[in-house]
Amino acid sequence: MPNSLMRSLRKLFKVKRTEQEMERELRLHLEMEAEENVRRGMAPEEARLAAMRSFGGVERFKEECRDVKRNRPLETLWQDAQFGARVLRRNPGFTLVAVLTLGLGIGANTAIFSVVYGVLLRPLPYQQGGQLVVLKQQAPLARNDNLNFSVKEIDDYRAQNRTLADLAEHHSMVFTLFGGPEPERIQAAVVSANFFELMGVTPLLGRTFAPSDEAHGAEAALILSHQYWRRSHKGDPNIVGRVFRMNDRPHTVIGVLPPLPQYPNENDMYMPTSACPTRSREEFITNREARMMRVFARLKAGVSEAQALADLSTIAGRMKETYPDAYPANLGFGITLASLHKELTQGARPTFLLLLCTSGLVLLLACANTANLTLARLMKREREFAVRAALGAPRGRIIRQLLTESMLLSLIGGALGVLLAAGSVRLLVNFAARFTPRAAEISLDNTVLLFTLVVSVATGLVFGLLPALSTRRSLIPSLKEGGQSAAGAGRQRLRGALVVAQVAVSFALLVGAGLMLRSLFNLQKVNPGFDPERVLVMRVTANWSKYTTVQQYRDLSLRLIERARALPGVLSAAMASTYPLNPLGLANGGFNRNFQIEGRPPNPNEPEPQVDFRVASADYFQTIRLPLLKGRLFTEADDAQARQVAVINRTMARHRWGAEDPVGKRISFDQGRNLVTIVGVVGDVRQYGLNREPTDELYRPVRQTGGAGNLLVRTTVAPSVMMVQLRQAVYAVDPENAIDQAQTLENVRNESIASPRLTAALLGIFAALAVFITAAGIAGVMALTVSQRTHEIGIRMALGASAGGVLRLVLRQGLTLVFVGLALGVAGAFALTRMMSTLLFAVEATDPLTWLAVALALAAVAALACFAPARRATLIDPLTALRSE
Amino acid sequence: MAKTKSDLLQGTLDMLILKTLALEPMHGWGVSQRIQQISSGVLNVNQGSLYPALYRLEDQGWIESEWGASDNNRQAKYYKLTRAGRKQLDEETANWQRLSAAIEQVLQAG
Repeated sequence: MPNSLMRSLRKLFKVKRTEQEMERELRLHLEMEAEENVRRGMAPEEARLAAMRSFGGVERFKEECRDVKRNRPLETLWQDAQFGARVLRRNPGFTLVAVLTLGLGIGANTAIFSVVYGVLLRPLPYQQGGQLVVLKQQAPLARNDNLNFSVKEIDDYRAQNRTLADLAEHHSMVFTLFGGPEPERIQAAVVSANFFELMGVTPLLGRTFAPSDEAHGAEAALILSHQYWRRSHKGDPNIVGRVFRMNDRPHTVIGVLPPLPQYPNENDMYMPTSACPTRSREEFITNREARMMRVFARLKAGVSEAQALADLSTIAGRMKETYPDAYPANLGFGITLASLHKELTQGARPTFLLLLCTSGLVLLLACANTANLTLARLMKREREFAVRAALGAPRGRIIRQLLTESMLLSLIGGALGVLLAAGSVRLLVNFAARFTPRAAEISLDNTVLLFTLVVSVATGLVFGLLPALSTRRSLIPSLKEGGQSAAGAGRQRLRGALVVAQVAVSFALLVGAGLMLRSLFNLQKVNPGFDPERVLVMRVTANWSKYTTVQQYRDLSLRLIERARALPGVLSAAMASTYPLNPLGLANGGFNRNFQIEGRPPNPNEPEPQVDFRVASADYFQTIRLPLLKGRLFTEADDAQARQVAVINRTMARHRWGAEDPVGKRISFDQGRNLVTIVGVVGDVRQYGLNREPTDELYRPVRQTGGAGNLLVRTTVAPSVMMVQLRQAVYAVDPENAIDQAQTLENVRNESIASPRLTAALLGIFAALAVFITAAGIAGVMALTVSQRTHEIGIRMALGASAGGVLRLVLRQGLTLVFVGLALGVAGAFALTRMMSTLLFAVEATDPLTWLAVALALAAVAALACFAPARRATLIDPLTALRSE
Repeated sequence: MAKTKSDLLQGTLDMLILKTLALEPMHGWGVSQRIQQISSGVLNVNQGSLYPALYRLEDQGWIESEWGASDNNRQAKYYKLTRAGRKQLDEETANWQRLSAAIEQVLQAG
């Protein structure tokens, strides 16, 4: 069978040659026969004729030979394709419109599918990634769903579990790396030596950790992430063996990782636990409550997540019993686990599935439109098909011809789509990176191309089959002169139905895009509680091996403020532990601390009060224009020797003190040993996203704490101009300071809503495409209707119908379709927008204003699309119309 | 005895072509000449049906073709038996022998 298939394929491409070959072979045969005849004694001319006679009819013979070959589907297909290509070439307008619409539709789907496949469907790039899970200790009563793990706890789980093949720890820290041109702030993951073995990762260069690297006192080893290696070391192939200085000791690069999605955060490099100054401290290792690490595990083969969870919960229960002090009842301590795949992709799922749905709908629209165009063309080709049928072509053959043509169109469209998708894949990777660490895995690989091929073929079938099946069985009307105007009522109904469907789908897409836009508008309108204009932020990381005491850190912060404030063009400068909409805060949430309120005995049945704890210098509030509502802000007098003070936000004041004045009230973070007096109340800030309600917030002054890591500056000039001077100022304070994440606060704010903005933009593009396609569809159908009703309209006008009457007549027909479409669209939009509820901010999925506006806008566009053909109808000259029959 | 020319039985042409090509690769005209020669002129191959048969056999994969130089240096299309064709020839030969033996028996009995 494969043999014969190969033969068919070979022959398919040899059709032309075979025809020539046949000719040559035949000529040769006749020549030989004639020569033979001459040898027998005939005159040359007589010999030639005798040869011809003995052969029989040459043309009949050729036809017979062709028949032998023709009776094969592939060659029929080739003929159909050639004929189809000719037909398409002869109709460049139709072909262009169809290929463009299909190309856009298929391109959109290819692009979105490449994202969905790369992120949601493709197996993780780890060996048997399906077995990998992330463990999470939780304290639901303290509203903490990720408590992290202490070394002691990890030891317990490792020793006692019966369901895990292996278990590895991971935490991420910031260090300053020396050895490059500038001190570099790097994010380093500290992992147990078995981490990469557990994940099943083979290094790109060098090796991964061995148990000896983790031994106490071992030489510090580094493995670079692929991204960092490419970014900071330009993919240096000789990096292995290079030594950097960090934490006052040499660190040697032993390997480079392949590109991998990193969870829970992006890290520049990996080091074993023994190299981390915090993790290797004896008092850290022995403290059961020093919870800093995350835990990854691989399930034993055949063990389900539920079985593992039951096993781990037993261990957690045992720990609670054995060490009741470390697990107070008001935590509600427990453990849970989730597959790594889910952890890596859950942020992306709703948005990506929504986009896949919408791009699919756009493709359906493109199909409907092309089907519509094909139908219109069919009416013109009616006679061609009737003649072919009359000459003996079976109906199946004609349908096959039409299908081949549509398939040809959709394949060309698919090729165009792949080009479009290839052009947009870079953009989409950046887009997806906002939702998932897996974005780098997105590409137009074979699976995606196969998907495109399948979609193209299916598309061709859908929009080809509809018109093809409508070809009539009876030919007689088509062959009769003037048969066209009487024919095709069923087809006209089909075209009407297609328009209705297009309007319905467009409506659903427009409502989706409209809701997303409204939501985005609401986000931008939201009062963030601060003024981001002309504020510059940068993260300053000290080489902390040089700064060992709290005072040293504090002094560094104060010196940075001083230097920055002295710069011309700087209005105010501040240091703070974080700033509003800081991307790290968006990703990881706040720094919550438990506290006690003086005079309120703790209730053991209730979780202790918690507050999002921040450090800020006196000018922080002024720098970001955070208004003071009550009391006072920090002053220079609030130093380490003075009374401990704090400023809280309005939400906390209401939440904890209600109508009471919180100014002067005292709280404690250490069970009453030290008391902190609240001296002021400031406004609320949307710290963790413009869509998130403010939480309880508390600020402590830099002068009473260990300093802070972010420099904020309000400038009188455009802030970006100040960037260079500000950097110089930071290096002037200490050349070993590392600077990163330097940007304007305005930019920070815009970045924080970049994903809804991009989602809205994509939906908007899809919806615009849909409306455009639909309008073109409506205009096309109406134009055809008018041209088919020319005769009838002519009679009406001859009988006295006014131009307005004719206009109404045509508009009524068109708008009826539109309104039926809108009614159906409402149902479709309900289904689509239900998927969106998690993506919307301050607008209901059923927001009546959006729905109404969209319906009106779509009706207006549709009316406009009907209007041009309707107007043409009023210009019909009754005399010409009547004579034309 | 005057020789009478016989038309070929339906289906036997294929077998004869295969048999002829089993001897050596040959072009179409050669096949028709050879069949006539070997059958001492009794079997007359209708040249009009020779080529469709050749194409059909090629299509079924029993023979394959190739352009080559003929005796007097003209380009001719040579056909030769494939392995599948050889098997087919054996089968058809066996069939034919069974059939002709049976016919022989019937005729003898009469």
